[in-house]
Amino acid sequence: MTTAIFEQFINGTMMGSIYVLMALGMVLIYGVMHVLNFAHGVLFMVGGYLAHLFFFNLTGSYPLAILGAMVSLALIGVLLERAVFRALRDNLRMQIVASLGLIMIIQNGVVQIWGPHALQMRPPPVEALVRIGQLSFTVQHFVIIGVVAVSVAALYLFLTRTRLGTAMRATSQHPEAAVVVGIDPNRVYTLTFMIASALAGLGGALLGPLFLIFPQMGDAPMLKALSAIIIGGMGSVPGAIVGGLGIGIVESLSTLVVPTDYRDTIVFGVLILMLLIRPWGIFGVRVRGEH
Amino acid sequence: MTRSFSNLAALACLVLGALAPLIFGGQPYVLYVLTLALCYTIPAIGVNILYGYTGLVSLGHMGFAGVGAYTTALLMKDVGVPFVPALLGGALAAGVLGVLVGIPCLRLRSHFFIVVTLAVGMILFTLFNNLDALTGGAEGLPGIPRPAPFSIGPIDFEFRSLTGFYMLTFVVTALIFALQFVLVRSDFGRSLSSVRQDEALASARGVNVFGHKLMAFALSTAIAGAGGAMKVLFLRAAAPMSFDMHESINLMMMLILGGAGYLVGPVVGAITFIAVPEFLRIAAEMRFIFFGFVLLVLARFAPRGICGLAESAYKKLGRREKTVVGYS
Amino acid sequence: MMKRMLTAALATALMASAAYAQDETVTFGIVTAQTGPLAAPGKFQMNGFELAVEQINGAGGFQVGDTTYKLALQVYDTRCNAAEGASAMQRLVTVDQVPVVLGELCSPVAAAEGPIAQDFGVPLITTVPTAASLTEQDNPYYFRINANSNQLNAALAQYIQSIDGAPLSFIAWNNDAGRGGANGIQKLLGDNYEIGYVGFFNVGEVDFANHITNIRNAGSKSVMLLMDEEPGALAIRQIRDAGLEVQLVGTLAMGSNRFLDRLNAEYLGGMVQYSAFPPNAPIERIKTFSDAYKAKYGEESHGFAAQSYDGIFAAVEAMKAAGTTTDPEAIRDALSEISFDGVIGPIKFDETGQASPPVYITEWCDDGTRKIIAPADLAAECGAG
Repeated sequence: MTTAIFEQFINGTMMGSIYVLMALGMVLIYGVMHVLNFAHGVLFMVGGYLAHLFFFNLTGSYPLAILGAMVSLALIGVLLERAVFRALRDNLRMQIVASLGLIMIIQNGVVQIWGPHALQMRPPPVEALVRIGQLSFTVQHFVIIGVVAVSVAALYLFLTRTRLGTAMRATSQHPEAAVVVGIDPNRVYTLTFMIASALAGLGGALLGPLFLIFPQMGDAPMLKALSAIIIGGMGSVPGAIVGGLGIGIVESLSTLVVPTDYRDTIVFGVLILMLLIRPWGIFGVRVRGEH
Repeated sequence: MTRSFSNLAALACLVLGALAPLIFGGQPYVLYVLTLALCYTIPAIGVNILYGYTGLVSLGHMGFAGVGAYTTALLMKDVGVPFVPALLGGALAAGVLGVLVGIPCLRLRSHFFIVVTLAVGMILFTLFNNLDALTGGAEGLPGIPRPAPFSIGPIDFEFRSLTGFYMLTFVVTALIFALQFVLVRSDFGRSLSSVRQDEALASARGVNVFGHKLMAFALSTAIAGAGGAMKVLFLRAAAPMSFDMHESINLMMMLILGGAGYLVGPVVGAITFIAVPEFLRIAAEMRFIFFGFVLLVLARFAPRGICGLAESAYKKLGRREKTVVGYS
Repeated sequence: MMKRMLTAALATALMASAAYAQDETVTFGIVTAQTGPLAAPGKFQMNGFELAVEQINGAGGFQVGDTTYKLALQVYDTRCNAAEGASAMQRLVTVDQVPVVLGELCSPVAAAEGPIAQDFGVPLITTVPTAASLTEQDNPYYFRINANSNQLNAALAQYIQSIDGAPLSFIAWNNDAGRGGANGIQKLLGDNYEIGYVGFFNVGEVDFANHITNIRNAGSKSVMLLMDEEPGALAIRQIRDAGLEVQLVGTLAMGSNRFLDRLNAEYLGGMVQYSAFPPNAPIERIKTFSDAYKAKYGEESHGFAAQSYDGIFAAVEAMKAAGTTTDPEAIRDALSEISFDGVIGPIKFDETGQASPPVYITEWCDDGTRKIIAPADLAAECGAG
């Protein structure tokens, strides 16, 4: 049984890392702009497809393919913020409508371009195995965990040590005051969307090779990330990290005792419970008038 | 919203709907697609009460429709309950579940509530799919009977034929439409609108905001349940896929496209989203890409949908006529 | 300019009608998923239909009474959605007024299409959906050419009892095919047979780590994979990469060269799977079909294609027997009587409309070929499956 728990712990940490990438992007966008971007999952999926494109058609190198996917997604993020979300600021209902529209366009657009068949790419870390006792994992498992850890550290340094990062935090905490001290909110919004989309692209480029690249590959990570940022606390970066990793590990371990066809039900059940007991989440701050 | 515009549009829908079997009697396919559109109009009316009049977004409404659908189907198929009580049973089951979800969750801030509806919808889908013994699971539930025929005096009513079932669906839709009409024109409906526009202000004016939201949510889920029931009775088979997240999102889209907050918004939306693409048989992906762009444009420029656009056109027309009368 | 265009259009129309007069055409209705999550298997189904039409028309058409008919297909996409499938069915029987409809991939969609066939008295021949309940609805207009889940499960259960495979575990799609299979086989094996673990995953999910841990925990000796090619290849890779030494049992999607290309012989050696159609079997009709399929599509043939191909021929044979191409009632009566040798085996519908083609069990050899191990009278060596 300990072997099983250890195996599921590694698997859960790997999936949890992917959720963390998604959750960080969604929490940044929510914290800074108060936009709940349901289209974040399709950006993740586009990251997988672009990594495939860069890997097979352009560079032939997996690290460069990841980088290419991230840069492309960053540009897409800028475009989405400028063309779609900027005009809908402070209009929650229309933001939801627009993100549903984006899901439809992007998901079906990908099918038009790449066809309905799932794509496969198998760069070296997916082919290589690491043996630990009687267990074995692909190297990609640890690549994912490592890359995400580094990205999270880099993001933390960016948010706390750089002028731009400080401006982002300031805008998220106090938009009016940020304007007073000379921060251009529009620039911050664009930057936020850019970083968030690049993180989604990174996630897709990391997970795609391990599994498959297909039009719905972002749906589940998006829903889990959404649960993660709510459980962690809306707008809280540490909350997104703990929430994402927590969901990954708990859902993996839960399958040792609960039938897998009810796994998602458990995650969503916990989410609803959390909202009822502590709607401001683990790390969130209780806002007056809430609950 | 202009009352005259709304009433006129509602009247036009009623007359056209009632005459459809005469107009399209020789074209069963048209009648078939119209029936299907009506089956979506009913849950869309439910969402309209919730979103259009109360301002709450639900991304899991087809899950509630599924509760109504499976309840009605099982009551009729396995227990042998007649149509009317079975339909009411389905609506009641969905509505009761709505109350159970609403009591704890409607106190949450609006985006949290959206996430809850999404989560509830996913959980319900899992149950439809996994409870093989009850719902037939993923293989679906075939052999759902159509309502039994009956006679009133010399007139026979039967629902096996397309025309018969169309008329039944039309009557059910018209009743639910009438319910919507009475509701939004009542004091209760006006209070709902005040909640949508400004919750704090409504509360300050003495409106029981939570109570109103709960009532609206319960009605809305019950109506969705009735819609789901009509859909599976029409198809004579139920499948979990008919009640998943994508269907819920499509339902929201339908309403926004047609015009949320308009009496006829759900009708226009269902016809535009279900019937028109089916008639044209546009390839599915292109259809969704097109509707995606339409949504982006609507979100930015016309948040009140087709009805909103029609209303502005109608107003412009009216003004011009008045000008002519005034100065000649 | 306008006038010239009109004249040209008129000429074309005249030519078309002239051609029509010489060569009568019968149009079959087709419902299948060409977009959506099941677009990939839908393609195999469509390939089978198109190959049959091409061969029939290439041979000059088919003769009913004194007239020779060419065949055409009116295809509608159902996206594995019950409402869209029912609408398409309705359109085919009332607007296009086809004499027979074929196809469908998803059982719940077929369940909604069946009653419309009955309403309008037009036979519906499904070639892929497996839910046993479909042919239990007392619908005289519903025919199924492929083996249903009961027939498939019986063959698999029989094989599993013949090997020392207990405890047996399952990883299955959480959809009609997967759930139906896992539940049905357990029922057939009976309460005394030891089941290790049963895990379902949603279509689109590809992370099998959780299942693999549970299978190891249960000490399983064999694992049944009830899913399609794409997740199947990943599941096998993850099972083998995790170091699990178990007997793998798969579906018909896993007994093909296409599947071998996704993995390699080292992953597959010793795995067995049921198959409605072993494409390399040393049987003449299968060879002929497989060669023709390969020539047209450049890939190994597929069971869904073979079943669908036979569906077209069943409809054509019924029209010949009925002596009509326009009377659905007579075609239905003929369908319930016909008996002919299809690619997948002898085709004869029972009183519920179900045919009983043979169900094969094939096994992967170490060199990346397959052999047929059941049914015993059709068994053949490596390279035959």
